[in-house]
Amino acid sequence: MKEASQRQMFDLLVHKGIENFIGVPDSTMKYFISQGLKKKKILITTREDEAIGIAVGMSLSKHNSLVFMQNAGFANSISTITSLVQLYEFPIIFLIGWRGYLKSDAPEHYKIGRIQPELIKLIGLDSKIVTESNWKECCKWAVNKINHSIPCTLILRREFHD
Amino acid sequence: MIRKEAIKIASEAVVDSPIISANGYISRDLFETDDKDTNFYMIGSMGLSSSIALGVALKNPRKRVYVFDGDGNILMNLGSLTTIGKLKPKNLIHLVFDNQSHESTGGQPSNTRNIDIYKIAKSSNYKAFKTSSKVSLKKILRKIKNIDGPIMILIKITKGGKPSKRIIHSPITIKKRFSQKMYRQR
Repeated sequence: MKEASQRQMFDLLVHKGIENFIGVPDSTMKYFISQGLKKKKILITTREDEAIGIAVGMSLSKHNSLVFMQNAGFANSISTITSLVQLYEFPIIFLIGWRGYLKSDAPEHYKIGRIQPELIKLIGLDSKIVTESNWKECCKWAVNKINHSIPCTLILRREFHD
Repeated sequence: MIRKEAIKIASEAVVDSPIISANGYISRDLFETDDKDTNFYMIGSMGLSSSIALGVALKNPRKRVYVFDGDGNILMNLGSLTTIGKLKPKNLIHLVFDNQSHESTGGQPSNTRNIDIYKIAKSSNYKAFKTSSKVSLKKILRKIKNIDGPIMILIKITKGGKPSKRIIHSPITIKKRFSQKMYRQR
């Protein structure tokens, strides 16, 4: 996704009532995070599951959060998602960077990139792939989900190399 | 002092402030000795009680928020100490019940036999205390009421005692009653 859309997407989510953006940075969404840092709304954690824990604490106090991470961090977080977020039904939006979407991505991303769609489906997390043309609807969909107490995830494909 | 005794002392001192308790015997002991709506029992997701408490603390600056953590738990999420130390929430009090073992899973040794969590907490901007007796634990719990956090109390305990019963509330009930209490007290 382009820089301008990533920045606008951040602003739209804030406008729709998401107060906290917590996670571990991923270059796939660097403009989204940069916009949040500019607005002083980003909390960077040491691990992805730690970010989920903090978001859960905020949710217990009825404040909505988005947790961002790369798919490697999603793999690290599966047990936290199943035994905390889903078990207690905490409404949290995940934003996951899809490394390994391109087969030519770095080798460490290849396998997780390949199994990611099935993995997300298997654990029963509702998801949508965000693109340049649908990001507004995706944000609306995600906010609507958590307003109904359902955790969900937005996925950002890594479509470039650096 | 065994864990259940330490937890009873701590819970009574906390009164009606929120407590986020670690999975395993810590939550079970808290449930058995002093079940209340302001207890959030984290029954899975080992390691994350201090992170959940940080989230609660940041959103409720006028409440003192307590973590009932274990040595095995905090060792799984040491990074949390650095995030808490960076943000320095004045209202976060982190109790670590340290029996130097994974008692819930059969008493296997943990690394706190060789590594001092107290020192790690200090270098992570915590005000840290250490105790192994009931009398001094009570004293520290009184003393910290007038001190700004983040505070850590490392409580050295011994293994033993009958395992407490499992928590009978459903996760959704645990969440709802805690959340309603937070909201009402605001």
